[in-house]
Amino acid sequence: MSNSSIERREFLKLGTAGVAASLAAGCATTVVESKPSAPTPMAAAPEPPKPEAPVQATLQRRKLGRTGIEVPLVSMGVMNADNPNLVKAALDGGMVLLDTAHGYQDGRNEEMLGTFLPSRRRDSFAICTKVFVSTLDRGTGLFGRGTRAGEISEKLDISLKRLGLDHVDVLYLHAQTAREGVLHDAMLAGLEKAKQEGKTRFIGVSTHKNEPDVLRAAIEGKLYDVVLTSYNFKQDHHLEVQKAIGEAAAAGLGIVAMKTQAGVFWDKEKTKPIDMKAALRWALRDPNVHTSIPGFTTFDQLQDDLAVMHAPALTPADSEKLQDQKLAGLYCQGCEQCLEPCLQNLPIPDLMRGYMYGHAYKNREAAQSLVLALNLPAQPCDDCDTCQVVCAKGFDVRARVRDIVRLREVPREFLI
Amino acid sequence: MKLVLVPLLLVLAAGDFAGGKLLPHIDGWKLESAPTTYTPESLFEFNDGGADAFLNFDFQELTSASFMNAKKVVLTADLFRHRDPIRAFGIYSQERLPGSPKMPGKLEGSVAPDHLEFVAGDYYVKLALPGGGDPAILPMFAEKIAAKLPGKRGLPPVLACFPGEGKQPRAEKLTARDFLGHPFLHDAASAPYQIDGVHFRLFAVEGKDASDARGMVAAFRSLAKLPKADVPGEGTETLKDPLNGEVELAWNGRWLWGAVDDPSPAPSPARQALIDELGHKLQRL
Repeated sequence: MSNSSIERREFLKLGTAGVAASLAAGCATTVVESKPSAPTPMAAAPEPPKPEAPVQATLQRRKLGRTGIEVPLVSMGVMNADNPNLVKAALDGGMVLLDTAHGYQDGRNEEMLGTFLPSRRRDSFAICTKVFVSTLDRGTGLFGRGTRAGEISEKLDISLKRLGLDHVDVLYLHAQTAREGVLHDAMLAGLEKAKQEGKTRFIGVSTHKNEPDVLRAAIEGKLYDVVLTSYNFKQDHHLEVQKAIGEAAAAGLGIVAMKTQAGVFWDKEKTKPIDMKAALRWALRDPNVHTSIPGFTTFDQLQDDLAVMHAPALTPADSEKLQDQKLAGLYCQGCEQCLEPCLQNLPIPDLMRGYMYGHAYKNREAAQSLVLALNLPAQPCDDCDTCQVVCAKGFDVRARVRDIVRLREVPREFLI
Repeated sequence: MKLVLVPLLLVLAAGDFAGGKLLPHIDGWKLESAPTTYTPESLFEFNDGGADAFLNFDFQELTSASFMNAKKVVLTADLFRHRDPIRAFGIYSQERLPGSPKMPGKLEGSVAPDHLEFVAGDYYVKLALPGGGDPAILPMFAEKIAAKLPGKRGLPPVLACFPGEGKQPRAEKLTARDFLGHPFLHDAASAPYQIDGVHFRLFAVEGKDASDARGMVAAFRSLAKLPKADVPGEGTETLKDPLNGEVELAWNGRWLWGAVDDPSPAPSPARQALIDELGHKLQRL
């Protein structure tokens, strides 16, 4: 926070309009990326923290696929906000795209936006909303009996009235989890009609489960222009999502990432917050993600998101912050500075890896296999009065070596 | 493995039973399928982007069910259990259409032709007729469900402190955290007013105790760039919130209260009278 590119005191001193002017002045040019490339992989081993990257002189924008809408990498998920001043501040701060839904706060979210959006220049923002069709079975992702194309236009008409606008920029089919839902005839007909009638410029689909299937179905459906998808570093299947995102982007679809904050906390008790800026940058390191929609409810959180918008590159310090905290104290970064001081020439990085297998992953079989394969002396560390090794991460190397080599003596059948 | 599975299955079955127990048996209606239960961890599967708003009010569990009658009319019932009645009212107040008609009877609820929402005890209940149907079905179901819900009825006491003159009816809101977009303001109630054509909001913020309330005042003063000073036990101040405009603030004991969103250059005596009345009533809570 202390290195935030837009210091809190400046943000508050300037107020919303001032922030906009300040940010605009800092953006000598706008860079629009058009050629996607492979995402930068997260470093396998975290590097030591470094100061946060300085603010870029340019505001990076990406084209939202075939829509051609140019958006900064960070947009606003409005879902939890009930203060119009916060949304105004986001737009004045340079954000362009606002994401809401017909059902958020039972419609109050769209109404809140409707208190001020009609008075703003229509081409100064892009508004996306979503329609949830009531016959969707949330469990299977299939539409049930009585599914009507008309429900889309009926709900969209209500949304437009709430927003005080005659059209939205993207209308999403909300919360799809199955190919059959994305390609349902009545849904495609309802969405297409909304576009033909000029009530939406573009069609999209949102997904928070089975994302690869939905992304590929959106490609197959041809009608869709944008996919709003969950995408974060904690997803077990994030590599599959990443691959499908790449395919969708290559097919011309705009990609908006949501749930980038990965649940906000590491733990169920909500005592260990995830670094929000690092998590957001993780999603944005994928050039096929055109923008993201973190939700925020405070001006402080907006400030953080604006900081990422202006400095979106994932830093090594960010990568380290995203290492699972459970593992952070057990993860050997493999710097090998321990090798030379060790008088016994022990393969310490391997032993530290074994220690992580045994204590973090609780995979004692893997730990034992590794330790047995290292051809260690019978009593490693016992010949040295004092250990000369100073670990870069502060591990008590001697204690960990002594601990993990004990596994050599444990019969396999006891390793549960 | 069996030893682990058996209690697990018992727990799951008990959970289903607990949720299903809340649903009434109504002649002529049957459940389309077994009710589904969602927890704070799985609520996103039900409500996706809207889930956070419920979690902010300490959502505990959702029982979701769908009924059908012989005429194939479908009624959906979603029973959201929150930590306490105030939080249940909180999410209801966030979703309620301001000024919406009150449902008939003693329950606090809002009714429309194809949907009805009400609060009872720790529960916020949403009923809907997605394919249409006789609107009278909704209050009938509401009464039957409410009869099965445990806990006290009634509105949060703080709402009774808001003066009636100029208040928009049935538009009070509770905000659990980040009131006005500031993380230091929590547990707020607010209501929109119109006096002499001027719109503004009155608000009341409840601290955990007097010290917590003074901490909020200090944070607010700091935000408004007022010189550092000890915050007395009670006082008034006009603050220039750089992000929300001028805020008329008063505090005493564990309460902060005042007015915001007033665009007029000088506050009217009528508005000040409302602020004073609100403060007097809060002190009696």
